[in-house]
Amino acid sequence: MEFDLEDPLTGVAAAAWEDEEEKGEVGLCPADSAAALFAAEPDHVCAAGKLGEDAALRRDAVAALLQAQVGCSVDPFVVYLATNYVDRFLSREAIPGDKPWIARLLAISCLSLACKMKKVDFSIADFQAEEGFIYDGQTIRRMELLVLRALNWRMRSITPFSFLRFFLALFRPADPPLLAALKSRASEIVFRSQNGETNQQNSSLFASVIETLSRSLIAEIKLLGCKPSAVAASALLTASHELFPVQFPTFRDAISLCSYLNKEELWECSVTMGELAAMDGCDGALAASSCCDTPVTVLRRYHHRNCSSSESESTAFAGGATAAADRDLKKRRIGGVTGEYCSVFLRPPADKI
Amino acid sequence: MEKYEKLEKVGEGTYGKVYKAKDKTTGQLVALKKTRLEMDEEGIPPTALREISLLQMLSKSIYVVRLLCVEHVDKNGKPMLYLVFEYLDTDLKKFIDSHRKGPNPGPLPTQVIQSFLYQLCKGVAHCHSHGVLHRDLKPQNLLVDKQKGILKIADLGLGRAFTIPLKSYTHEIVTLWYRAPEVLLGATHYSTGVDMWSVGCIFAEMVRRQALFPGDSELQQLLHIFRLLGTPTEEQWPGVSCLRDWHEFPQWKPQNMARAVPTLDPDGVDLLSKMLQYDPAGRISAKAAMDHPYFDSLDKSQF
Ligand SMILES: Nc1ncnc2c1ncn2[C@@H]1O[C@H](COP(=O)(O)OP(=O)(O)OP(=O)(O)O)[C@@H](O)[C@H]1O
Ligand SMILES: [Mg+2]
Repeated sequence: MEFDLEDPLTGVAAAAWEDEEEKGEVGLCPADSAAALFAAEPDHVCAAGKLGEDAALRRDAVAALLQAQVGCSVDPFVVYLATNYVDRFLSREAIPGDKPWIARLLAISCLSLACKMKKVDFSIADFQAEEGFIYDGQTIRRMELLVLRALNWRMRSITPFSFLRFFLALFRPADPPLLAALKSRASEIVFRSQNGETNQQNSSLFASVIETLSRSLIAEIKLLGCKPSAVAASALLTASHELFPVQFPTFRDAISLCSYLNKEELWECSVTMGELAAMDGCDGALAASSCCDTPVTVLRRYHHRNCSSSESESTAFAGGATAAADRDLKKRRIGGVTGEYCSVFLRPPADKI
Repeated sequence: MEKYEKLEKVGEGTYGKVYKAKDKTTGQLVALKKTRLEMDEEGIPPTALREISLLQMLSKSIYVVRLLCVEHVDKNGKPMLYLVFEYLDTDLKKFIDSHRKGPNPGPLPTQVIQSFLYQLCKGVAHCHSHGVLHRDLKPQNLLVDKQKGILKIADLGLGRAFTIPLKSYTHEIVTLWYRAPEVLLGATHYSTGVDMWSVGCIFAEMVRRQALFPGDSELQQLLHIFRLLGTPTEEQWPGVSCLRDWHEFPQWKPQNMARAVPTLDPDGVDLLSKMLQYDPAGRISAKAAMDHPYFDSLDKSQF
C-alpha cells in the first residue's frame, strides 16, 4: 500500500496482506506509535543552516514542484513529500554553485520518488512538457539514486502531518467537527510553512514587501529546521487560537503536558510560525488578515489597541506591521510583554531565552 | 562497492549469495546481499522502493537486523542494488545444528531458549505493530550473535518487491516446515497468526534440536501437523472446512504436546500450545506471548 504521510509507521499492512479487509487487525497501539514516532523523528529533521545557503536553489526546486501541483494536478501531499525530499537532500548534500539546473532535476527526481511512495501514477514526460525542460530517463534515474543515497533510503518521511492525529487525540472534549476543523486548518498552516515564500515571490515588487519576503524566507527556513512534532503542535495551537479561542487554553494545556515535546523548541517554533503568519498577513495586500489570525496577529491587534495606535490594522502598511511585529518580538525576547500572548505559548524561563 | 572487501560467502538465499565483507574505511563487518532488482525505464521499481524504505524503518529495532545502507553499482550499464546489513556471526539454524552435530553436542541451555524466544517475540511484535507480516520466519532467517546472546530477525519485508519464488536460487525447495495450517489450506485471508505459528515451530525446534513438522510437500506438511495436534474440527477452528484446499483427511486424535518437547517445562508447553492453536484468531499474539508465565524467570530488563 502507498505511504501515508499522516501515518508513516503503519498502514503498511496491505503490502504484506493478502486481503485488505484484514488490515484492521494490527496497527500500532497509540502509545507505541507515539514513542516510535518521536524516536524516529531526529532522522528526518532538516538542517536550517544548510537550507539557508541553498535558498535560491531550493526556491527554484519548490517552484517547479508547485508548478506540478497546479499544472499537472498532482496531489498536494505528494508535492509536500517531494519537497520534503528536496529539503532533506539539500540538508545533507553540497550542491556546486555552478549548477543551477540541478534544482529542476532534483525536483523532478524527488517528485518521481514521492509518486512511487504514494503509489500515484505520474508521467515524467507530461511534467517535463509542462515545465518546458527535458531530462532523459537515465539522468533522472541517476538523480533518484543520488537522492535515495543521501536520504539513506528513509523515504517514509516523518513530517508534521505524522503528528497531527497524536496531538489532536490529546484535545478534550473530543468533538469530531471541531477536531476536523482544527486538523484542516493546521494542515493548511503546515503546507504553508513549507512553501509559503515561493507562493508569493511574484506578488509585488515594493521594497517593503521584498524586505518582508526575505524576512519571511528567513522565518520559513528556520521553521524547516524545527522538529516536525514542534511544527505540528505549533500549527495546531495556532489553528485553535484562530478558530476556537475559548477552548484554546485547554488545548494549550493538553499540549504542554505532552512529555515528548521540548517546551523551548515548541516556543521557538511557535514564535517563528507566528512571525511568518504575521508577515503573510501584511503581504496579502492587507485585506486577508482576519483569515490568518495567528497568535502574533492577535498580539499585534492587542498591541495596537493598547498603544491606541492610529494605524487601523486593516490599513497598516506592510513595513509598519512588520515593524510592529518585530517590536513585539523583541519585547517578547526580553520577556517584557504582558497580556494575551504571554499566556499563549509556554514560555521557557526568561534566563533561557 | 570498492568500499567493501569481500571476505567469504556466508549464506545462500533465495535471491543470491550473501557475503561477509569488511568496510575498508571503518573495519566494520557487514553482510552484503545482492538483490536481483531490475531497473527499468522507470528507474527504481515502486514496490522495491516502498519495501526497502519499510525495511529501513523496521530496522530501527534491535531485534531486526539493521540495514546499514543500500549500495548501487552499474554493471554493464545495469544498476544493481546491494543491501548492506550489520553482520552477525551465525544464524539460528547453524546455531541449533552446532548443538546437534558439533564437537560437543548437547541441548540448548534453557535460559538461551527462553531468551531467544523472548527476543523473537519482541521482534515479531515490533513488525506486527507496524502492520508488517514477515511470512517467512524460520531458523535460517534468524541471526544470532553468540557472544552477546542476541537474536535478530532477518529477511524482512522483501516479499513483494522480489516476488517469492517457489524454488530458490539454488533450486532448493522453499521450506514448508514453518508454514501455518491456514496457509497450507489455501486461506486467502491471513494475518499475524501466520508468523506466530512459525514462532511456535521455531520454539519447539530449539527445544528438540530438530524440526517439529518436517514435511516435504504441502500435504505431508499438513499430515505432520494433524498427527500431533489432531485433525482440526469445525468446533476447534470455525470455518476450516470452507478453506480452499480443505478435503477429507484421515482423522487423528490430538497427542500430548509435552511428549513432542519432553525437556520443556509446563509453562513452556502451555505457551507452545497457545502458539500452535489451529484457529488463527485464537492464536496468541507476540505481545501477549511476551507476558506469558514462561518468561517469568527471565530478566526482562536486559531487553
Ligand atoms: N547480516 C547477516 N549476517 C550474517 N549472516 C547473514 C546475514 N544475513 C544473511 N546471512 C546468512 O545468509 C543466509 C541467507 O540470508 P537471507 O535469509 O537474508 O537471504 P534470502 O536470500 O532472503 O534467503 P531466503 O529468502 O531463502 O530466506 C542466512 O540464512 C544467513 O546464514
Ligand atoms: Mg533467508
